[in-house]
Amino acid sequence: MAPPTDASQPRLAAGCRWGQSTKAGGEETRVILFPEGAIKLQGTGKLVLEHCDGQRTFAEIITELQKEFGKTDPEKIRADISLFLEQLQKKRIVDY
Amino acid sequence: MTQSVSNPLALIAEVTHRCPLHCVYCSNPMQLAETRSELSTEEWISVFQQSGKLGMLHAHFTGGEPLARADLTELIAAARAASLYTNLITSGIGLNEQRLKALVDAGLDHIQISFQDSQEDAANWIAGAKAHAHKIELSRVIRSHKIAFTVNLVVHRQNLDHLEEMIAFIEQLHPERVEIAHTQYYGWALANRAALMPTRAQLDKAVATIAAAEQRLAGKIRIDSVVPDYYAKYPKACMGGWGRRLMLVNPAGKVLPCHAAEVLPGLSFENVREKTLDWIWQESDSFRRFRGEEWMQEPCRTCDRRTEDFGGCRCQAFLLAGDATATDPACSLAPKHHLVEVAVHKANGTSAVHQPTTSSSFAQVQKLNADLWQYRTNPE
Repeated sequence: MAPPTDASQPRLAAGCRWGQSTKAGGEETRVILFPEGAIKLQGTGKLVLEHCDGQRTFAEIITELQKEFGKTDPEKIRADISLFLEQLQKKRIVDY
Repeated sequence: MTQSVSNPLALIAEVTHRCPLHCVYCSNPMQLAETRSELSTEEWISVFQQSGKLGMLHAHFTGGEPLARADLTELIAAARAASLYTNLITSGIGLNEQRLKALVDAGLDHIQISFQDSQEDAANWIAGAKAHAHKIELSRVIRSHKIAFTVNLVVHRQNLDHLEEMIAFIEQLHPERVEIAHTQYYGWALANRAALMPTRAQLDKAVATIAAAEQRLAGKIRIDSVVPDYYAKYPKACMGGWGRRLMLVNPAGKVLPCHAAEVLPGLSFENVREKTLDWIWQESDSFRRFRGEEWMQEPCRTCDRRTEDFGGCRCQAFLLAGDATATDPACSLAPKHHLVEVAVHKANGTSAVHQPTTSSSFAQVQKLNADLWQYRTNPE
């Protein structure tokens, strides 16, 4: 498999979905639930996956996030998100 | 002493011990809970509700064969309603299209089909298109639903030489995951250890086969595998540490920190019929018994790895070394490691080897996101 292309439409893989993790004290974190595990998501990772709705293309997601992180080199943003999605795809948590 | 305890992450719901199979490596206790003592539908529903409130994320339905429970659909729905991710671990025997649809409609997130070879020898397993026809058909039906699909393969001395063909067969079923689990030696498997333990040569070949398959299937099928602990340098962090991540409720409502915990002498376990899960997690002697480091002996007590593997498996320490607080004899640093070396030596005349590999790709995502966690549900 290859990294996402501009036309890819990243989404959560079958059987992977958002959930809430509640810590003692009632603090809630958004998590991605997948078979036998979960990813606690904060910050950038959370933002990226919230954009991966199966509708937006990879190119659109990148454009939106480049606006969000205007101070960072756009090519670095693209490379980081591409790697992030590719690794989650290998874990079968994301499809594109 | 007050212990600061974080909440459990997953429930292992052993909903029945009834099972149509008789696997030689079964990890279930040799004393099985009888049908008439099984928790009722309402009692299980309460367990799921309590689990959700405790902050657990996953409910793993296992057994026995969970499909033997006529109310399984209702139980899945209740677990999902309690915000739990639902995982069904099954042989698939007795699962037809209609029942699967009902389970999916009830909120099933993930199905894990295990391949047994209790009735077929290894050669038949490969040639046994007939024996597997049902699973091939079942896989097709599973793929028509939007749920995660894992195939679980239990490997041991008798079938490990056929691993490559087994993986090739499973590929046709199009799961997202294959879990290759070496038999671990508890219950029946300990009694049958000599017949089940692979040789070093078999293991080396299997490691190479898995590495090649991981590369070939990257992005299509993820392969999770673990080296059998008798051949590893360090022990496994059994269940992610005693009373640290998981709670197991057995068919009769007894709450255990792991599958095998009932073999340990001097421990008694609470029942959901009498106590809440919250109390059992926080307060019970059984869950507190091997938390923290107070109980550890040397070399664990001063070992740098004690926060990673927690001294290994308490049940294995007891079963092999006769002392539940001893270092797991699977550890190369254990005073009683010779017990494992003797078993390995008998299996192939060489001494224990360094752990050749762990599942490779996981480390990469962990670097990206330190908050990712994963555990294994069964010590098998």
